[in-house]
Amino acid sequence: MELKRALFNISSLADLGEEITSEKNFREKLRSLLYVVMGTFLASKGAITCQDRTGKKIMFAARKGFEKLSLEDIDFEFVREAEKNEPYHAENDAALRAAGVEIITPLWVRSEFIGTIMLSNKFTREPYTREDFEILKVIAQQIAITLNNRALFINLTEQLGDNRKLYEEMRKIYHDTLQAFAAAIDAKDVYTRHHSQRVAKYSAVIARELGWSDHDIEGIYVAGFLHDVGKLVISNDILNKRTPFTQKEMEEVKKHSLLSYKIISHIKFPWKDVENIVKHHHERPDGTGYPDALSQSDLSEGAKILALADSFDAMTSKRAYRDKMGLKEALSELNRCLNKQFDDKIMLAFCRVLDKEIKGELPEPNILPHLDKNSDLSVITALLEGLIEELSGNGED
Amino acid sequence: MNAAPFQVKSRIVNDVAVIYPKGYLNNLSGEGLVSECGRYIETGIKKIIVNFSETDLINSIGISLLLHVMEELQTTGGTLCFTDMDKVQLGIFDMLGLTKYFRFFQDEKGALQFLGGSAE
Repeated sequence: MELKRALFNISSLADLGEEITSEKNFREKLRSLLYVVMGTFLASKGAITCQDRTGKKIMFAARKGFEKLSLEDIDFEFVREAEKNEPYHAENDAALRAAGVEIITPLWVRSEFIGTIMLSNKFTREPYTREDFEILKVIAQQIAITLNNRALFINLTEQLGDNRKLYEEMRKIYHDTLQAFAAAIDAKDVYTRHHSQRVAKYSAVIARELGWSDHDIEGIYVAGFLHDVGKLVISNDILNKRTPFTQKEMEEVKKHSLLSYKIISHIKFPWKDVENIVKHHHERPDGTGYPDALSQSDLSEGAKILALADSFDAMTSKRAYRDKMGLKEALSELNRCLNKQFDDKIMLAFCRVLDKEIKGELPEPNILPHLDKNSDLSVITALLEGLIEELSGNGED
Repeated sequence: MNAAPFQVKSRIVNDVAVIYPKGYLNNLSGEGLVSECGRYIETGIKKIIVNFSETDLINSIGISLLLHVMEELQTTGGTLCFTDMDKVQLGIFDMLGLTKYFRFFQDEKGALQFLGGSAE
């Protein structure tokens, strides 16, 4: 009979382990654990209590029976003074006795009081034995760790939530700062107001169309905001000139991409290559761009995107010395400059995203709202479809 | 261990409720057995037979649930009979001293005869 009892106890501990490691929700897990304890000792009633999140109040985590038990009436200071995880008879606590609690086990993990296991007398009215106490102690240690792990998990989840919120707030401040910075750049020239913001948006939607990750898209968005930061160093007299630049002035203006690079290369961005994308946004696939006259193969995709977005916005915006181009005209100009100034693949992505915006296939248009409202969109769509077909064919060759 | 889906069916034979748990009586789904018995007890039934012929396993959780049924029935002075229990399970109930509190029968027919219900 003793062997059978020992096997039953081992089996109960196995049941306990199975429940602790189960994927049930926590309330169900605790109810199952309570059933295991009650079934092991044939207790008619039982409860598992634990501290609330403030650590100041004890509450029921699972309960079967003990309806009359009010935890507020119990002297938990006395329970805390008992041996850790050691069951004892609840004969000294009138509230426990009145509610039918026979055995109470204080649950501890290291120096932290976690809660209790309370059991009534046995269904068979037999007394709890020394062996029962030994088994209950082992069970108590396991349940204490389970409760403690849960509390730790909740704390970590809350901390993670707080950190995420803080990160989002910092991210917003960061973007607001960038916007303010971009506004300062654009404010140097009334004709380029919001240019940086539009270039950032256009670059981001092209990158998304090309399948870039959200992280990398954010990087090129920032590059778009900052690509002209070097213009802060260039004289207002040149930037706001109402006649075409002289050769000398043009050389001065051309310095802005390298100046932008020098300024932002001091910033440690969480995105890769922002400073190089900015530096090379006036490079061209035919190798005639500046500042490094890079060839097509040396140009990053980000630099090619920014180059197209920057030029497209320049074309479709009014300048001191010229009127803005219509959308059809700008698309024809981009197409005319393919391979020399712009990359086929980037152009294809740009056409596709613009076509989708016109057809309402994207949740929010980012290019269309900034363009000439008088454009005949059916003509533009036909033009875009032709370009897409042509560029897609080129891609397949 | 993957528990088979636990199901409970029942029928009334005269004034006896016969309960047929199916599957493993080893997790919270076993609470279905308690509520099925409770439903009959609420209607005044005092004689319950639990036929374990299709129950593969009863663990500590299952024992706790069966004790709960017994406690509910005891308050009304009722009788709880178990039938078709395998030898291993029967041995555990015996070792735990529970055979004094439940009536065990080899089959449902014997339990119904004991309780005065028809065997059909």
